[in-house]
Amino acid sequence: MPPYGNGPDSGARTRDLVLTGLTLLLAFGTMYLPQSTQERVSALLQGGLRPFTALQGIVSEGSARRVRVETLQAELDYLSKIMSTHRAVTDENRTLRKLLDLKESLGYDYRPATISRPGTPGSESTFLVNVGTSDGVQVSAPVLSPAGLVGVIREARNSNALGIDWTHPDFRSSAMLADGSVYGMVESRRGDFREDDRLILNGIPYHEEVAVGQVVLTSGLGGVFPRGIVIGTVLGIAEEEGAWRKAYVLDPAAAPGAATHVLIFMGESGDSVNLGDPEGEHR
Amino acid sequence: MNRTAGRGQLVWVSVFMLFTLHFVLHIGLSYGREAPDLLTLGLLIAARELSLARASGLGLVAGLLEDAMSLLAFGANSVAMTVVATGGSVTRDLFVGDSRLFFPAYIFAGKWARDLIHWLAMGPEVRQPFMEQAVVEGSLGALYLAGIAVVFSTALGSWSQK
Repeated sequence: MPPYGNGPDSGARTRDLVLTGLTLLLAFGTMYLPQSTQERVSALLQGGLRPFTALQGIVSEGSARRVRVETLQAELDYLSKIMSTHRAVTDENRTLRKLLDLKESLGYDYRPATISRPGTPGSESTFLVNVGTSDGVQVSAPVLSPAGLVGVIREARNSNALGIDWTHPDFRSSAMLADGSVYGMVESRRGDFREDDRLILNGIPYHEEVAVGQVVLTSGLGGVFPRGIVIGTVLGIAEEEGAWRKAYVLDPAAAPGAATHVLIFMGESGDSVNLGDPEGEHR
Repeated sequence: MNRTAGRGQLVWVSVFMLFTLHFVLHIGLSYGREAPDLLTLGLLIAARELSLARASGLGLVAGLLEDAMSLLAFGANSVAMTVVATGGSVTRDLFVGDSRLFFPAYIFAGKWARDLIHWLAMGPEVRQPFMEQAVVEGSLGALYLAGIAVVFSTALGSWSQK
């Protein structure tokens, strides 16, 4: 006999239904919590998942160490080539600055970190880095790979931080062409499928010519990203609006999914860019 | 009586193992959709053993754990898991579930519903197009999990007969 009416089970059944209703309300309520509360709840819950995030850290550090020696040697050779000419350019820059009576430009500080990605639903376009506020990492700090800009830190905690990569719909960066001739805004645009996600260089005046293959860098405007980080190269026109604005599709320099070892921008360093040879003793 | 209690224990140990394995695969080893959604599988199995309130409570806890890593749409997993767990518990009153086809069909429907509700609960600016996420990926994910469920129930059945 089903428990209808005033039978002995009807009270328990009613209590069960009320509790279910309350749980459902609570579940729907989590979606409408203020973002700061959501972040606090999320941080609290991540405490419960610590064994799994610790395992993730170990695995991603292990995979970062598995980089082949040949690859590292090639990167070292490439950097040596750049550095051999960089010293001469720095000296030239210093001389010109003295002639123009300008102050020495400051260098930038970066913190190396290992990146890992949770595979849970809703965590797409986000990543976790193994450094946090105790290492000086702050919200809005840019994250770079050797290839270029990967993303930005969104939430910094004591020992780790959460970031979004350029495929996230909220990603924005002020940008310019490498020669500084054209300025615009880079944003992520979702395609019909994840593989169609694109970076778009938007807000380019209609009369400005942008050639295919030109390199796009961060412009430093807005103060979030330092000037000169590679974002990507121009692939072609994405859209034209009337006769006043154009947008271009970019080929991103950094593949967020492939990034394991990254650098986190910490701000301007106290030292000027002089490669440790300020007096030019070894010239 | 002993046989029923033994089966119950086996189910709960399996559910706990599925939950743990899910987080090892998806968070510890960073697998995405290539690893099966064992949290939903465990939840759907547990929901058939629990009352409405307890099933929805377990669904909420599971959803919140999934949401811990979600910056895009916090709460979407909580809603999806709670609704699916409640629905799973309701099926106890509707289906006996002793047919061979019932279990994979139940898991397929549950997983597909979970993905659909998650898609609906995410903001329109965050979610992928309906065709990709709900129809293509949702159906493939549900089929994948139903296959895993068949293997799992076969293994569990042969284990419980020993």
